[in-house]
Amino acid sequence: MSALQGTPLPDASPPAVSRVDRATAAAPPRRAPRGTVVATTLLIALLLVPFTPLVLASVSQGYFFPQVIPETFSARAWRLVLDPAGGAWTALGATVRIALTVTALSLVIAIPAGRTLGTRTFRGKRAVELVLLAPVLVPTIAVAIGIHVVFIRLGLAGGTLGVVLVHLVPALPYVVLLSAGVFANAALGLEEQARSLGASPWRRFVHVTVPLVGPGLAVAGLFGFLVSWGQYALTLVIGGGQVVTLPILLFSTASGGDVAVTAATALFHGAPAVLLLVVTSRVLGGSGLTTFGGVR
Amino acid sequence: MTAIPALRSRLRDERVRTWLSLAPALTVVAVLFGGAVVLAGLRSIGLLSPVAGDLATGPSLEAYRSLAGDPELQRAALLTLHVAATSTVLSVVLGVAAALTVHRLVRGRRLAITLLQLNLPIPHVIGAVAILALLGQSGLFARVGARTGLLDAPADFPALVFDPWAIGIIAQYVWKEVPFIAIVALAILAARGDRLDDAARTLGATGWQRLRHVTLPLLLPGVLSAAIIVFAFSFGTFEVPLLLGSSFPAVLPVLAYRRYTDLDLAARPEAMALSVLMTVIVVALVLLGAWLARRAVRADRADRAGRGDPGGRGGRGARTDQDGDRPDRTEVAP
Amino acid sequence: MTAIVLEGVTHDYGATRALDHVSLEVGSGTVTALLGPSGCGKTTALKVIAGLVSPTRGRVRLGDRDVTDVPAERRDAVMVFQDHRLFPYLTAVDNVAFGLRMRGVGARQRRARAAEALERVGLGGLGDRRPDALSGGQQQRVALARALVLEPRVLLLDEPLASLDTHLRDDLRALILEIHREHDLTTVVVTHDREEATVLADEIALLFDGRVHQHGAPRSFFERPRSARSARFFGAVNLLPATASSTAANSTGPDGAAAGSIGPSSAGSDLRLDTPFGAIDGVPGAVGSGAAWVTIRPERVVVDPAADRVDVHRVEGRVVAASFLGDRTRAVVDVDGTEVTVDVHDDALIDAGPGRSVRLGLPINALWTIPRESSAPQPEARPADPPRGP
Repeated sequence: MSALQGTPLPDASPPAVSRVDRATAAAPPRRAPRGTVVATTLLIALLLVPFTPLVLASVSQGYFFPQVIPETFSARAWRLVLDPAGGAWTALGATVRIALTVTALSLVIAIPAGRTLGTRTFRGKRAVELVLLAPVLVPTIAVAIGIHVVFIRLGLAGGTLGVVLVHLVPALPYVVLLSAGVFANAALGLEEQARSLGASPWRRFVHVTVPLVGPGLAVAGLFGFLVSWGQYALTLVIGGGQVVTLPILLFSTASGGDVAVTAATALFHGAPAVLLLVVTSRVLGGSGLTTFGGVR
Repeated sequence: MTAIPALRSRLRDERVRTWLSLAPALTVVAVLFGGAVVLAGLRSIGLLSPVAGDLATGPSLEAYRSLAGDPELQRAALLTLHVAATSTVLSVVLGVAAALTVHRLVRGRRLAITLLQLNLPIPHVIGAVAILALLGQSGLFARVGARTGLLDAPADFPALVFDPWAIGIIAQYVWKEVPFIAIVALAILAARGDRLDDAARTLGATGWQRLRHVTLPLLLPGVLSAAIIVFAFSFGTFEVPLLLGSSFPAVLPVLAYRRYTDLDLAARPEAMALSVLMTVIVVALVLLGAWLARRAVRADRADRAGRGDPGGRGGRGARTDQDGDRPDRTEVAP
Repeated sequence: MTAIVLEGVTHDYGATRALDHVSLEVGSGTVTALLGPSGCGKTTALKVIAGLVSPTRGRVRLGDRDVTDVPAERRDAVMVFQDHRLFPYLTAVDNVAFGLRMRGVGARQRRARAAEALERVGLGGLGDRRPDALSGGQQQRVALARALVLEPRVLLLDEPLASLDTHLRDDLRALILEIHREHDLTTVVVTHDREEATVLADEIALLFDGRVHQHGAPRSFFERPRSARSARFFGAVNLLPATASSTAANSTGPDGAAAGSIGPSSAGSDLRLDTPFGAIDGVPGAVGSGAAWVTIRPERVVVDPAADRVDVHRVEGRVVAASFLGDRTRAVVDVDGTEVTVDVHDDALIDAGPGRSVRLGLPINALWTIPRESSAPQPEARPADPPRGP
């Protein structure tokens, strides 16, 4: 399944406090107890510590026990990974291509459904939500095994298209449910307001709908992208070794036993995902990221 | 010629439009996911060929019978449940504790939250590789142990990966899921934790009482939904135990994959049966968990249905102000 | 006896000073309103009393106990918030019982008392509902019951009516008054609505910019405003330019210039006013010599005063505009270049239409003189209608 579950929202900003006094709006300038600061620092350090051996190993030469800091530094691993003729760039290309296609398809399919789920009540809504959530819960390997034979018959196994299609299974639920949250929280009444002010359907879409839900949908799409980005089991079975994405490459490198190259490949695979999350939350600056309602 | 106006008027029908908008998403899920589950079921009982050729054996429960007699299966199931349950409990406890801690920060809270979610987009394969480099017997911790003279050889370091208790696997899940739970909890706290906390204080609730009677009940629905996702996830993920787990017993997803790729094609129906089994187990447990969760929070939907009470709600003006105070949306988790 | 004392309370939010040396006494068993425009510090003052905000400087006393360092949960000062803040996961009756539960009251007893309190606020049958199944007015009633059931020493209401529709607001206001009469609860209510403050409160403390600008009975704000700002906040429309000079030895000087609260007083009366419409003697006011405004409420202006009345200053003018307000007619009369607003219950003025000449009498004891800070009246942030939603 995916590299992430649910919705880490890059900015858990509280909803704006409306009116009344400053007293309500501003947090009292209480200072956090020292223990809190220490505990938080410790927590974040613990979360970041697994990256340390990766960084150290990736720049080492003969990183043998019991070295903590490598005795010999070397750019060998990085040179290998970053070699234009090497497999990493090809895998990166395949991963990006697949993830972008999955994102685009997911958004196209998810937006109408998300709007309906977010703004309407109808009989069977809860059942629909359950059905759409189910693929997140069932082990991906079960899905892969179940569908593989048919994909072989249809000639989809071992190809990019087949991989894109199965990536939709775990990606789509997130994108639909996140979009539902976006639409539920958007002030879509503004569309009617714009209509009464004489805006044509197209202009309403461009000037009202897109600014309202665009940032939120971008976040939904980001999650679809990341789900595909980290996908291993489905790619392994359906791609059948023909489609080498970064997770596949990393896994086989790890099995190969070259610690330095494995570490460099892992960082090469992880960095774009982190970068993407950071850039997105920067660009969107919190707006539309409070769309937590979707997956909770 | 009358078909077009008729079609148009049907399109104007709210219900038709509702289901039309849902159709693409439902179709994808039904065909790709539902199809996979159904096909695995049919193949497991011999109604369809488990390989690309035509090797359907006809109706047979042989695969299930053979699994039932397999001692590995039982151990695999127990190990899988152990991994999923332990990971979920640890992630929830630590994640909620982390959220409560970070929420108390005044300065630097935003920075802390940003750092907290850095590992969320990290794929599990990377997490597994990193945990291996950290907890393995020649990993960073073992090296630090050796440098400080606590141990002499890698073998002196306790087996935290490839171990029967799946500690490495659990460590990887906890490492990934603590921030997830924490972010979910922080969002709820940010939305209204402080305001209810203030109200409770003026009503005489002390610090512990507020934690017990305000903060935790407030977090419960959202965190439970997140916990269900974490459980399903640590139950079904395949690459992490493949990299960090012992080969025997293996977890169910690994077992299923091994049977599926077994050179002996006769093992294929068993792989299908395992897929069905995992699906049934996880769906049953999730439904059970959701049912328990609902009982715990006693979320009463009938109340909401009865919202339009004739006693009159105070019109728009009365309502808009409370939008920030809506109950948590727990719709997603069953 | 005083129930609440604030002594020189100052509170800063970072660089913003929300409260600036606020001193205030609230009598036991009274209702005091903290009134003022948005951002004047009134809610901060309430939270200082509740203990939710610690003052940067100054002391807080409840009764004879200094509670400045006592945490909110041990003050027995219960606050009802504008946004009700009901616990979403508890039913109405459990919400009401919350405070009793914190005090260790047994389940059966607290539920009984909570049910009683719900009954009292008119929600007898709705105890099993969750907050989101209640209307806005009902939610606010539950919040009120949740506070009342504790029989607190001090009840603090933060804009309790602001988020409600007009008719719901009237109902709840009546309920608050009724309950106050029954329990004799010391109550502090924060509001931005002068009408609400006037109806609810025995005393009003008017806050501007984090300071108590004027403190007194509601009536004094209408009849004896301390300043033009105070007058305008209470809807004064007639601020007529004048120059004051004290005539007699009994003048107490410009006590209006002193900081802190002032009560209604007849001190400083016997002013002589020079106005564009003639000189007037013996006018009361809170001002010494110099530029002043003379105020009069529109309904106190007499049209066609009887010839033998001696307590009025007579002027003549021309009707500029008139409008029918339902229970009265409001006319603007040009008196020698000064516009005087007049309320009459006789439609003769409006029937005649603009341009008609009219004789007016300004009763001397209805006039009140206040200092004039600048040459032109500054537009003041009036307490407009309460906002409807964000």
